[in-house]
Amino acid sequence: MLRFIVRRIVIIIPMLFVVVSLTWALVRLAPGNFYSGEKKIAPAVEANLREKYGLDKPWYVQYGKVLRNIGRFDFGTSLRYEGQSVNQILLRALPVSAALGFTAYLLALIVGITMGTLAALKQNSWLDSSSMVIAMLGISIPNFVLGPLLVLLFSLTLFWFPPALWNGFLSKSIVLPAITLSAIYVAYIARLTRSGMLEVLRSDYIRTARAKGLSEWQVVTRHALRGGLLPVISFSGPALAFLITGTVVVEKIFALPGLGNYFINACFNRDEPLILGIVAFIAISVLVFNLLVDISYAVIDPRIKY
Amino acid sequence: MSAAAARSIFLVGVLSACLLVVGCTASANNETFFGKTDPPRENVLRYVSGSEPESLDPQIPIGQNEARISMALFEGLAEYDPKSSQPIPALAESWEVNKDWSEVLFHLRRDGRFSNGDRITARDFVYTIQRGMTPSVGARYASLAYPIKYAQAFNEGAVFVFDPNTKNYLLERDFADDNSTNPVALSSQPDVISSEYANGNASLANTALHQTMHAPLRLVLPGKDKKRNDLLDKNPKLKAAVAGKQLVPVKADDVGVEAPDDYTLRISLMQPTPYFISMMPHQFFRALHQKTIEKFGSAWTDADKIVTSGPFKLDSWRHYDRIVVVRDPQYWDTAHVHLDKIVFYLLADNVTMLSLYKAGELDVTYNHTVPATWLEVIGHRKDFMDAPEAAIDFYNFNTTAGPTRDVRVRKALNMSLDKKALADWRHVAPLTAMTPNGIFPGYPQPKGDPFDPEQAKKLLAEAGYKDANGNFDPKKFEASEIEMIMNPDANNLPYAEFIQAQWKQNLGATISMRVMENKTFTTAQTNLEYKGISRTGWSADYMDPFTFLSIFYTPKGTNATGWWDPKYVALLDQANRTTDHLERYKLLAQAEQLLLDAQPVIPLTVGTTRLMKKPYVKGVYPNAATLIPWKYAYIERDPSKWDYGMPDMSEPSAVAGG
Repeated sequence: MLRFIVRRIVIIIPMLFVVVSLTWALVRLAPGNFYSGEKKIAPAVEANLREKYGLDKPWYVQYGKVLRNIGRFDFGTSLRYEGQSVNQILLRALPVSAALGFTAYLLALIVGITMGTLAALKQNSWLDSSSMVIAMLGISIPNFVLGPLLVLLFSLTLFWFPPALWNGFLSKSIVLPAITLSAIYVAYIARLTRSGMLEVLRSDYIRTARAKGLSEWQVVTRHALRGGLLPVISFSGPALAFLITGTVVVEKIFALPGLGNYFINACFNRDEPLILGIVAFIAISVLVFNLLVDISYAVIDPRIKY
Repeated sequence: MSAAAARSIFLVGVLSACLLVVGCTASANNETFFGKTDPPRENVLRYVSGSEPESLDPQIPIGQNEARISMALFEGLAEYDPKSSQPIPALAESWEVNKDWSEVLFHLRRDGRFSNGDRITARDFVYTIQRGMTPSVGARYASLAYPIKYAQAFNEGAVFVFDPNTKNYLLERDFADDNSTNPVALSSQPDVISSEYANGNASLANTALHQTMHAPLRLVLPGKDKKRNDLLDKNPKLKAAVAGKQLVPVKADDVGVEAPDDYTLRISLMQPTPYFISMMPHQFFRALHQKTIEKFGSAWTDADKIVTSGPFKLDSWRHYDRIVVVRDPQYWDTAHVHLDKIVFYLLADNVTMLSLYKAGELDVTYNHTVPATWLEVIGHRKDFMDAPEAAIDFYNFNTTAGPTRDVRVRKALNMSLDKKALADWRHVAPLTAMTPNGIFPGYPQPKGDPFDPEQAKKLLAEAGYKDANGNFDPKKFEASEIEMIMNPDANNLPYAEFIQAQWKQNLGATISMRVMENKTFTTAQTNLEYKGISRTGWSADYMDPFTFLSIFYTPKGTNATGWWDPKYVALLDQANRTTDHLERYKLLAQAEQLLLDAQPVIPLTVGTTRLMKKPYVKGVYPNAATLIPWKYAYIERDPSKWDYGMPDMSEPSAVAGG
């Protein structure tokens, strides 16, 4: 087990190197740079800028600097935002994305697992069909449609929640973005739970549990859920990584100061240090969460050993 | 109940819920205003300023989103008039120009103060301008100050040439036949410039700098060895003259700006620049606090460090969310600043901001925030502000390759396009020339070619696209060699589709289009790597026709057409040397006509402000520069005094002329 964990952690380093190098090359290959725009600047001014940001140096010097920076977890200074370091920006934007992502994650787990379990227990009933219709809608309505629809209903017609802006974790402003963000995950988790539970409920050890005279509640919560949730766990680990590291569309619709919003703008602005910083951060998060998922398998299912 | 039945009942339910929502929204369409009209409880204005500012340092960024905030935090020698956008006195009480337009004097007010209580003197403006020109600062708007003497030389890191034997600098005029040494036209520079003023105001100290400024222009050479040697190799006479001489880097102190006393700022110009005063309200020239910047470097704009000069000071900056500014009690005119606070929401999504506006969480939005497709719902509301703007949309022609090399093809494409129909459809005004109409009173704007598809066909036939009878033949026209490229801004694609349909209808030619990612697009455009046509736009940096005509002053850069004519440049230079206002306008109009004759562009439309303003917000006008001087804004709580429709913009503002 320990050897497995160490091996997985060590593997993060070369993977990070590949991700960062590829991203760097892509940013460099893309036309334009952070100061190019419709209003052209004087050639002398451009030369001043290139000198200021070290862009006049040969590419290997610049690439070396990128790798050195990442090695020290200091991603340098943003090109776009004068005097702001990428680390500062990450620290500022992450809590917003994490708060939103975590809320959406919890919502998705609670609603999704409940819906999926009920559907499996009452297979082919109206409960099952309507849960699965909701799940199908959640998967097929993209969040850039669902978000504005929710705004139209709850902000502009009923005036219950603000249509945009961020007023902190414990405020009304998190409600609509969290629902929008969680919809597709609710749907996936409900479907995964349902099929997982259906399979488990037919298995021998559930029959044994019932034969021993356990109550239905105990059978479901103590025995069936443990096995039935395995597919949910393998799905929700990386999902959590993506959810808390920023979600471009939802943050854009609701104008939230999260990582996703920074990320998309950094790409449009060709803000190389910020792009690399966010990519590296997301890569590390995904790798770490995958590792956590693998570990949790062993904890939940005694049949799995590393 | 079967699963299928349950499913269909559920779907019907969802659909009716959606219809209900849409129905409620539709029924609200007859209201006078768009959304809530309850004024905010506090004495605060909530504005949306666009995307996250690059910096609060007014000399670093170049976007309007930052300029909108600089308008609150910093003040310059002059401010934009809230209605006409013309310069009005601010930190300078008055100004005067000498007779030959080589020197400008600004007389500063004595009670100007920074937010930390320090007095604002002429020395602060000397610092501000010198700092903006410093190469290591990397100010992208530095070229605005190039009319100031030796400012460009300093900004480019250029050198003077000093002769140690004669103790003199080499002079430009001795090498005047070689005009590649300095891009600014100097041939007409008189030897000694008089500093006479119309009212005889010349009692100021004749400092060493002042004498230098009025001495013949020094020779300026590139600072980088390679560039300089290339230049010298081309000019043996110059090379011989420079050999053995000292190269002296141009310093900040060589720039033609000085403070002969605490409250007088003297600026010497390279050549007459009649639009110079119009540039003074630009954020690039707004007063900066030297000690703060020197102490904290690029961190000086942090909320706990920043020192500002405007009517408001920074309270907090929540990145990617909002900037809050509060009234600055140190500001000289703080008694006449109405608002306690302004909140700038940092977002740029039109739909999001209209939602916020409708829900009553925003009081004013910035220009172009109402998409054309929303006009049906919003266009007739009394809080929709639609006034002409000093901004134009046009298409560039690539005049260096393909069919668009031929001026007849360019003219034909321009003439076969019904701009009035386009403008009516988009709720804007048609543009037929290179300057927007109706913004510069007294400017004899040329008309440009009218809509005339028959003439267009004749021109194309002349250009060789004809059948056996000599008539225009669409099959011969190389439409596939032309493509319209554009960036993905909301309005570009509908424009292009309309124009494509017009050409199809009027010429029988189908010209394809391509939307490109923004930076990819601008790179292709600048490098003339496009087939035929590229979309662009321009908004005024200052209120003068020259800001539009100067696009084609240089062969490259913002001019992405490949067209460049020395005659055009000569006309513009001549115009700017002309001190009589109307004579100058005539010459500018002549240059504009010359440009239109060559047709390197298709003028399309003049922008309109298309913004929302709650009726209770007063003192805020949809002006042509679309920048709002915030000190005049206030919240009117008495509904009988609210604006029902556009506020009156015709009368000169009561505040102007301060």
